[in-house]
Amino acid sequence: MSSVSKSTPVAYFQEKLNPTWGEMNGMQVAISFDTADIEEVRKQKLGVTDVSCLDRFGVKGPQAAKWLALQNIHIPDVPNTWVLDNNILVLRLGSTEFLIEDQFSSNTCNQLNKAFKTNKVGVYKVLRADAAFVVSGREIRTMLSELCKLDFSEKSLTPNQVMMTQLADISVIVVPEIINGKLIIRLWCDGTYGAYMWRVLHQLAQELGGGAVGFSSYFGDE
Amino acid sequence: MNMRIDKQTGEWLEREKKISFTFEGEQFTGFEGDTITSALWASGEKVLGRSFKYHRARGVLSLANHDINVMLTDGEDTNIRGDVVAVKDGMSLMVINTMGGVKKDNLRFIEKLLSPFLVVGFYYKAFFRPRFMFPFWENIIRHGAGLGKVNFNYPRIPKPKLNAHYDVLVVGAGPAGLAAALAASLDRQLKILLVDENKNAGGSLGYDRAGSNELQVQLEELLEEINKAENITLRTNAYAAAYYADHLIPIVEEAGITKVRTKTLIVATGAFEQPPVFRNNDLPGVMNGSAAQRMIYRYGIKPFDNGVVFTANNYGYRVALDLIQAGTVVKAVVDLRKDNVSNSLSTELLNKGVNIYVGCCVYEAIETADNMSVKGVVICPFDEDNNKTEPEKSFTVECDGVAMSAGWASAAALLYQSGMKVKYDNAIEQFIPESLPKGIFSAGKVNGIYDLEQRIADGARAASEAMRYMGRDDMPEIPVQAHRTESPSHQYPIVPHPKGRNFVDFDEDIQAKDFINAAKEGFDNIELMKRYTTVGMGPSQGKHSNMNAIRILANIRSLPVEKIGSTTSRPFFHPTPIGHLGGRSFHPKRQSSIQQWHKDSGAVFVDVGAWSRPAYYAKAGEDQVNLIQQEAMAVHHGVGIIDGSSLGKIEVCGPDAAQFLELFFTDRFTDQKVGETRYALSIDESAVISDDGIVSRISAKLFYITVGTSNAAMVYREMQRWLQIWQLDVGLINVTGSYGIINIVGPKSPEVMLGLTTQLKAVSNLDTGRVCEIKISGVLVRVMRVTFVAEIGYEVHVPANNMLTIWNQIIEIGSAYSIRPFGTDTQRLLRLEMGHHLPGYDTDGLTTPFELGCDSALAMDKSFFIGQRSLQILAKKCLSKRLVPFMLADGFSGQMPEDCNLVIEGSEIKGRVTSISFSRKVNRVIGFAYVDPNKVEAGSEFKIKTDNGSMVKATVVKTPFFKSNKEL
Repeated sequence: MSSVSKSTPVAYFQEKLNPTWGEMNGMQVAISFDTADIEEVRKQKLGVTDVSCLDRFGVKGPQAAKWLALQNIHIPDVPNTWVLDNNILVLRLGSTEFLIEDQFSSNTCNQLNKAFKTNKVGVYKVLRADAAFVVSGREIRTMLSELCKLDFSEKSLTPNQVMMTQLADISVIVVPEIINGKLIIRLWCDGTYGAYMWRVLHQLAQELGGGAVGFSSYFGDE
Repeated sequence: MNMRIDKQTGEWLEREKKISFTFEGEQFTGFEGDTITSALWASGEKVLGRSFKYHRARGVLSLANHDINVMLTDGEDTNIRGDVVAVKDGMSLMVINTMGGVKKDNLRFIEKLLSPFLVVGFYYKAFFRPRFMFPFWENIIRHGAGLGKVNFNYPRIPKPKLNAHYDVLVVGAGPAGLAAALAASLDRQLKILLVDENKNAGGSLGYDRAGSNELQVQLEELLEEINKAENITLRTNAYAAAYYADHLIPIVEEAGITKVRTKTLIVATGAFEQPPVFRNNDLPGVMNGSAAQRMIYRYGIKPFDNGVVFTANNYGYRVALDLIQAGTVVKAVVDLRKDNVSNSLSTELLNKGVNIYVGCCVYEAIETADNMSVKGVVICPFDEDNNKTEPEKSFTVECDGVAMSAGWASAAALLYQSGMKVKYDNAIEQFIPESLPKGIFSAGKVNGIYDLEQRIADGARAASEAMRYMGRDDMPEIPVQAHRTESPSHQYPIVPHPKGRNFVDFDEDIQAKDFINAAKEGFDNIELMKRYTTVGMGPSQGKHSNMNAIRILANIRSLPVEKIGSTTSRPFFHPTPIGHLGGRSFHPKRQSSIQQWHKDSGAVFVDVGAWSRPAYYAKAGEDQVNLIQQEAMAVHHGVGIIDGSSLGKIEVCGPDAAQFLELFFTDRFTDQKVGETRYALSIDESAVISDDGIVSRISAKLFYITVGTSNAAMVYREMQRWLQIWQLDVGLINVTGSYGIINIVGPKSPEVMLGLTTQLKAVSNLDTGRVCEIKISGVLVRVMRVTFVAEIGYEVHVPANNMLTIWNQIIEIGSAYSIRPFGTDTQRLLRLEMGHHLPGYDTDGLTTPFELGCDSALAMDKSFFIGQRSLQILAKKCLSKRLVPFMLADGFSGQMPEDCNLVIEGSEIKGRVTSISFSRKVNRVIGFAYVDPNKVEAGSEFKIKTDNGSMVKATVVKTPFFKSNKEL
């Protein structure tokens, strides 16, 4: 038997852009869509990148926080916030649900999967198959103003905020970050809506002068 | 005739840029910045449109976005408002609602020939008798109704609907609005949006000058301050179209809508000037005083050569001075009032040699021979206390235009929609706010403040209050003086005339007498009168007619105006294109993770709930019906594969999971063994079937449930709701998107399954009704043995991201058995052949389990489950219908019955067909239908009425419809 390779939920629409494909965590991923210079320009204006290939682990239940602590995972104290510790992004979704995502070169989710043999009382594993994106650029607020009702102005954002809202009429998790005065968002949605979400984000990005940016544009130097 | 005058200070034109366009086939020119109306009027063109009902010639009334008789088409777009839409180079414009052009409109004879029959409310009294004539009248009415012609080839231009958030939204950039924005901007932390529907900010400060340019200087200073304030965003050509809860206000611009959510709202929308009512007050050349002022100062046009000002307030005197400044010879100022008319303005006018007639009215405007313009006015004394004219003392003044100034009505639509309480201020004859909802403030003329200095102070006061509302307790209270001098509005500017044609509503050609007649017929409530006369129901929505209508009704009923009240203001305040309302289309569609494979394999997709699924797989030269039969036969004789990922999937875990399922579904689950699957039926509290599915017990504390595609979200939501109520120790996880489902079905499916895994024993021992977890290429999957679409079949539940790899593996292994993919259309046929009903297809919003015949899924002896009590009640009643499987006669070749065709017995409807199809496997037409409960036994016959009316005999049979392979 051949080894199993995973496919990104976004592949259906990415195919049309003829990307250069690569593999990350066993998943086919669009490494680049164009030259680095062109992608850099897009990133500055409005770049959309598929990062569904990052490993994720989900867990919920009244004892989930305790179990994660036992696994030495640093969890946020406050609901609807996130922490980034040791290249592991931990999102607290409400009070009893967590989404953990390995950033580049981390392997924690695999370890958590191994540690979680079966459901325990009050700790339930949530199988994740998210479509995940990074969106950045000068026009990001223009894009968000059409897709989401929430206020993404710097004044209204709180540090390490996790937003569970609707974007383009579907449920999403959004992590907005201001880095050097520029807004960048991380975005997760149900994988079955991934192709739709990619199409919407990509279409708007193109209209606003940006476009698709490959995975290597964000993680190439790591 | 050129009516253009020298460049005016602050005008909106760029005279160095010329514009050429055609109007009704004639060539015209204008300047950049002109509206269509201003360019035409400057060229001496006065007949710009025709009225809706009588097709009377019409020109300018407001020049403020409410001249609804001047609507045009450029061949692509329609109902273009000439008074505000900028003229563009190369435009080719035609007036709407005419037959033969605006000047020679053949429909103008309606007024002369038919008007005696077109009395108020005539359409309520005519056309319905004799009945057979109604289609004839309907055809005529449909052709006559509406304005403009819809262009069905109009290009789809996406108009984005954006969201924006502000601390302060100021609507109206006149003196009060500008002052409010500036006052609020002193707090640099506040984010302020100032919007105005006009091309430029300033409001009346830009055109109400009384012949002097001093106020223009003040306006420019204010605008400079606005530009300097970094926390103010000024948007012009943008109107606030509505107010919704929580201070949500859609701002409409040409490019699209911005949905503004604001902490505070300041409404400084001003007031609409109201025309007095007199005979022929609608002729081209008769216009509001403020329209004449706009014409002069915005567009550099002399409104007319020789004019008369008909006024009932001091504003008319300011208008007269502006007209003189523009070069118009003001032949007379006719003042309806007998008192309070001596002031500095009148003195100035007298000094300029203008005749002022106090206590007089314009009895009528005299039309030219072609009925298309004014050639003079008849003036006579007017008794304002008794609303009486003295035409016997009348005299005529020749003129080519009349400026009207009789009063104002608050532009308070947003405030009304927000829930404002109003009162009528007799001192100024105007409805003003009595109290406003929290976070909403008003300023300026909308508050009844008319003095310029006080309007500016009122804007600052509103801002100060808004800031206090936001927590700035240090903000001062700013005093504002209420209006002290003579009333800016007349209490009853209606001039009676025995020959009528004194129009109250220009949209619908409603005259003063129409209100009197409506009241006589009993429609003497303002809401009833509105609907009977249609006042305020045209495109301008009563902005120039509602106040006069209220005054007339108050007069008829001898009641004060406040007892009459006003009609309800509803969003949107101004007509807004449907393209704007629709915005960009977002149609979320869920897709399986192997959608590309389906597409590459020729799938024809169909929407199923939120999902896009393959209906069948196309092949060159084959039609849909044949392909579906082929796909089904592949399943019957070999092996088929379908992507069932769209099914809802929910994990129920925890110590109380089994108990939860017992309460939620109708059957038992506490005794379900690990590794077993069970059919689950869910009903609501009234015992109506909501969905069904399969419950698999994966471990003692983990159940895995699959439910229907369309109902998945609803089932999960209901589970969450009931869990809150029951407070059980259960975790619910919606894994619909996390797992893909691959169904491998048909007699050869076991061979394919065995080729997939090394865990051969687990697969071999998997009987129908069992579930197991195995690994395929290192990926843990759940496998169920199912019989939904075939006697032998497997559902393989795969982590979604691994779906493509495993699917390809199955296709590769299955190729030895000619495996064939099939879609949802084939799936429906296969389950029908198997005799399985489908919630949503074979049930409706009233179907109970008894009608479906699934009594075996009801554990009525349980202590409780949702809907149990209703079932207990229903069990004591007689059934009215039952679902049965049926076949048509062998070799049937008549009119094919369709889904939803009725089951008829005698003259009674007994039921309906829910599913029907020809089955190549059975070689008969088979289906499900609801029939009389006495006809459920196999062999019973019933009749179906087809679409062409023929009756088709059907026979009740047993399922499955074909002989089992085991029986053969």
